[in-house]
Amino acid sequence: MTVAETDDVVDRPISRLFNEFADAIYTLGYRIVGDRHLAEDVVQETFIKVIRALPTYRGDGPIGGWIYRIGYREAITVTRRRREDPVDPMTFQVTSVPAATSVEADVLNHELVSRLDDAMSQLSEPVRAAFTLRDIQGLSTAEVATVLDVSESAAKMRLARAREALRVQLKEYL
Amino acid sequence: MSLTCDDLDAMLPEFLDGSVTADEATLAAEHLATCEECTAELNELESVTKLYREHGTMHLPDESRKRIAGSLGISE
Ligand SMILES: [Zn+2]
Repeated sequence: MTVAETDDVVDRPISRLFNEFADAIYTLGYRIVGDRHLAEDVVQETFIKVIRALPTYRGDGPIGGWIYRIGYREAITVTRRRREDPVDPMTFQVTSVPAATSVEADVLNHELVSRLDDAMSQLSEPVRAAFTLRDIQGLSTAEVATVLDVSESAAKMRLARAREALRVQLKEYL
Repeated sequence: MSLTCDDLDAMLPEFLDGSVTADEATLAAEHLATCEECTAELNELESVTKLYREHGTMHLPDESRKRIAGSLGISE
């Protein structure tokens, strides 16, 4: 789902927005925070904010971009909170789920999916966010820049850095 | 004028984005036709994007989706 495709929909009911963007915000949250349960928190907090702010949404720009922006900021908040207040590692062991909830995942590509996850986790957060939005979620570079609140050239630089680092890391799969 | 490997490298983000000018695209194609190293690099970078496009999207588990929707007062 690109932001542009959702351009004309300002007054959709919240349930439709949720259905349309829950996976996207979950993906963004997971790719930034690196934990499925916290990514669910990102989805929940994002839509609480969307519901609260929807009446004042001015429709300046696609609503998808607006939701991604809220989701991104929420993911950053959760990441910072996690850094300041690290969870007992045992809790993570108990609650973490194998990477099989990716859309395409099955037994055969389970290993590949966890290699992709590992490789991404080596990237810095800003670089990871740009790569997620552009290459996984298919936003344009201009849209990525808007969501991250950086210049287009900064977004491009982050993307180039991400792709190059991943290319080196994943050499055997390319 | 022809491109060096460094020139092409600098152009790669735009090239992958499809945001190069027609002239730049011609120059890039000329260089790629004669340079195996840059061609390999470009192919690999495209494969990175393709891999993640295919396998990187997450699906919010149904139970969590229901729980979150419920907490938001959304009936799906
Ligand atoms: Zn070359």
